[in-house]
Amino acid sequence: MTPIEIGLVSVIAIVILIYLGVYIPIALGVVSFVSIWLMRDNFDLAINLLKIAVSDSVMEYAFATVPLFTFMGLIVSKAGLGADIYAVMSSGFRRVKGGIGMATVGANAVFAAVTGSSIASASVFSKVSVPQMLNLDYNPRFAVGVVAGSSVLGMIIPPSAMLIIYSFVAEQSVGDMFLAGVIPGILLAVAYVAAIWAMGRFTPNFVGGRNAEDIEPLTWSEIAAKSLPILSLIVVVLGGIYTGWMTAVEAGAAGSLLGVFIAVVRRKLTLKLAWEALLETGHITAAILFLITAASIYSRMLGLAGLPNELGDLLAQSQASFFMIMLIYVILMLFLGTLLDTASIILIVVPLFLPLIEPMGLSLVWFGIVTVVGAEIGLLTPPLGISCFVIKATLNDDRISLKDVFLGALPFAGVMLIVLILLIRFPALSLAILN
Amino acid sequence: MLALFRHWVGALSKFTNSIAMLANVAGTLVVLALVAVVNYDVIARGFFNAPFRGAVEVVQFTMVLIVFLQLPDVVRVNRLTRSDGFLVVIGPRFPRFTAFLRHVIEGISALFMAAIAVAIYPEFIEMWHTKDYFGIPGVFTAPWWPTKLAIFLSASLCTIIFVLKILSPAQKPELIKAPEHEDSK
Repeated sequence: MTPIEIGLVSVIAIVILIYLGVYIPIALGVVSFVSIWLMRDNFDLAINLLKIAVSDSVMEYAFATVPLFTFMGLIVSKAGLGADIYAVMSSGFRRVKGGIGMATVGANAVFAAVTGSSIASASVFSKVSVPQMLNLDYNPRFAVGVVAGSSVLGMIIPPSAMLIIYSFVAEQSVGDMFLAGVIPGILLAVAYVAAIWAMGRFTPNFVGGRNAEDIEPLTWSEIAAKSLPILSLIVVVLGGIYTGWMTAVEAGAAGSLLGVFIAVVRRKLTLKLAWEALLETGHITAAILFLITAASIYSRMLGLAGLPNELGDLLAQSQASFFMIMLIYVILMLFLGTLLDTASIILIVVPLFLPLIEPMGLSLVWFGIVTVVGAEIGLLTPPLGISCFVIKATLNDDRISLKDVFLGALPFAGVMLIVLILLIRFPALSLAILN
Repeated sequence: MLALFRHWVGALSKFTNSIAMLANVAGTLVVLALVAVVNYDVIARGFFNAPFRGAVEVVQFTMVLIVFLQLPDVVRVNRLTRSDGFLVVIGPRFPRFTAFLRHVIEGISALFMAAIAVAIYPEFIEMWHTKDYFGIPGVFTAPWWPTKLAIFLSASLCTIIFVLKILSPAQKPELIKAPEHEDSK
């Protein structure tokens, strides 16, 4: 077999192994290791590359953003900041049809600016907003669908673990990726709110619910008390990066410290909770960075096989247009999204496509935003929509089946797809803040 | 005979698990150190114009320690990233085949972790003897060997934990095992 054939077979083998349930970093690492060995017929070379990947890829300064922002996110959700901003939003939207749904989206968007994980958003808001929507006679499918759909914002609006992972694969600055994610994230949130309005107008049965007049409006001082802490965090983190006063790593550390301070002042932080958050941070960091380590072996393997270049030549010969390439890319991500988690999709697909995108003169920052949004659609689609699983597991309510969650999330997945198309068509949406 | 074997596997698992948890605690303290070091640098630089030279090197160093001190515990609690929808779906219908497949997967994983340990060991020995360091001389330097040792020990411990997982009865599959959604509101 030629190296190219070995490379191609190994990509397919990785997808099959992952589907069978092999740990994703193990599948990436083992298949790449064996392919390098076969391609060069040299076991020592394979061992050598493994050694370099394992000892070097973790030692990246920018990776410190992973534990720092994870810790900050865990601390602020334990401090109840998610529930607070939700209370403010639902008071604001209480007279609107589907208003609680809009409040959930808005609260998620703000909460997303202090956490980097959709899992955190999904779990916080299934506990806070789903019960309230059910009390107000909203359709259960709509209630869980809103939470699932808006949880995705957690990974698009910075800080976001997925943007960090992409910035590693594509060798872009984490800070740039964060700033580029702001407008697309807000755009998606606005699109969700518009979609909820339209559903309330045209398919009121799907939404259900009654006006929430009985929600007490908050006083101004309550609003300030509930929203100032989270706003100050956002100003420190995003403001620090935007003004260039802090690197993304430093912003993460400052945000963590401020988060701890807020939690302590609000008397929400016990030593036990803080220790749990630290343990959890360590686990998540190790899992993500080990995945990245394995992915770096994989991209070395692809490079040795010459697969990305071959793919580029193939497309150049076929005169494939920009439209065709993006169409193939989006379909590939949607397909993988049914099986894999977002991080794995990014790590598997991006190294294959980067050599196609660069010569076309397209911005790699823009490509990253498109990738993250495209891969995130998979969080909402069956059979393996992680966000939907988390919501089902957190609610633990027999009246709502996993199927309900998926069906409820479907319209929101559709909205995401429309936003994705807009982002592809108008790169300025992602790049405006940077320039 | 089998019972005796099971007993020994159980005892050994308990032992390796407690080492993994201990390493995890150490790694967790390193996370805390990371937060402290970077904040110290930001404050010292921003307000006192006295940056902590070597912050970058310390951060790099802590990243290696965090990842490899925590990895065995991640393996122990089954938090390594995977999509096991297929195993969960076929589990009830073909319990024996599913258990077999799980054991094959643990086996492959053990082999891979062993390969990492084998790959990194000579590097550790070399760094131990040459006392090579990274960072900028005169500003901040740290020796390489502790990072290599951490990776070697971590990979070895992961190998052992995976092997013991093969020998222990298969666990009940779950769709979600992220404890982060057990947090308080």
